[in-house]
Amino acid sequence: MAPPRDDGSKDPDPESLERIRQVLIRAVERHCPPALAAHREDFVQMALVRLLERPAGEGSTPRGASYLWRVAYTVVIDEIRRFRRQQRQSEQLDRGEGGTPGPEARSEILDCLRGLQDRRRAAVTLHLQGFRTAEVATTLGWTQKQAENLVYRGLADLRACLAGGQT
Amino acid sequence: MTEPADDLEQRFRAALPQTDAAACPPAQEYWAAATGALPFERVRALVDHGARCAECAEAWRILADVRRAAGEAGPVADDTPTIRPLVSTMPARTRLRGRSFVPIALSAVAAVALWVMVRPEPPRLPPVERGSGAAATVQAESPPVQPAGDAVLRWSEVPGASSYNVTVLTPDLVVVHQAVGVSGRELKLPGGVGQRAAGGGLLWNVDAVLPDGRTVASPTFEVRLK
Repeated sequence: MAPPRDDGSKDPDPESLERIRQVLIRAVERHCPPALAAHREDFVQMALVRLLERPAGEGSTPRGASYLWRVAYTVVIDEIRRFRRQQRQSEQLDRGEGGTPGPEARSEILDCLRGLQDRRRAAVTLHLQGFRTAEVATTLGWTQKQAENLVYRGLADLRACLAGGQT
Repeated sequence: MTEPADDLEQRFRAALPQTDAAACPPAQEYWAAATGALPFERVRALVDHGARCAECAEAWRILADVRRAAGEAGPVADDTPTIRPLVSTMPARTRLRGRSFVPIALSAVAAVALWVMVRPEPPRLPPVERGSGAAATVQAESPPVQPAGDAVLRWSEVPGASSYNVTVLTPDLVVVHQAVGVSGRELKLPGGVGQRAAGGGLLWNVDAVLPDGRTVASPTFEVRLK
């Protein structure tokens, strides 16, 4: 157990940590490729360890439940990125490559997405990333009605473009 | 709305290229975006990055799950599955359809049609403003050109602000430094950050955090480092 914080907040309770752990494991399993998802337990465990090891003075926002979720999320993403970076380096060493990323892949759907108006593109992209309408609205600073409208119109434009029409 | 699992989502996921993660925005930026703490232009840059980087697309998706689980992502009851598939939603609506609704519906349609015909050209929606709108703005008060090893970012006071969050970015919107919960109105740029940008410039912006949790976002400023 970590020592008491000097910022007036309490250490995370075991139930909260267990809940965060389960959610993160499930999210990694759901959204990452199988080869990476196989390491989900390690990523999340490492993230929680690093969360508990963070010095009390780091950041100056209150350490509430929201803080725990935020830090757990950011650390697990950092862990995944670090793992991938190591994998890439290892592969490059094996192949003796310089490590320069290849040309950007082109695809019809990404080209069509890029052609959408800014607001519609942002709304549709978040929608395709799994965001609900209320979450799109919160993220982009819109009302829910605006978000709904822009996702709807953006999807219509996207489908039209993919069908050979104009955006 | 349920998870968007239609054909577009599958195609989108399959099309995302692997990129060099060194250029990816930090995960903190994604979290801040999902809380509504970032101005539209910055969120747009993050969202666009997620649409050309498979790893960051994963970060967005995991974020959606985590935010939902944390109970901070807004009321689930507000889901609107009708917007997703662009197919008929009539089965749900037919439940409302009955003889008594027909005259009302026809009247409403006629009224809407009339309004559409006679209405003036609708003004374009204004850019999104956060915080208290015109009540407060943040202005840069530090010199636009500063020494690379000793740069200080300074901004005007926002009345009532309890703290400020400062984000420093490269001209191509890669975040190089963030300070959250700054109590004063200035931030000394870490020497390493300034030195790396010496001879060029950095972008920076400030979010003033009000006691009720709202934020007032500044425009994006530029500082040249010599």
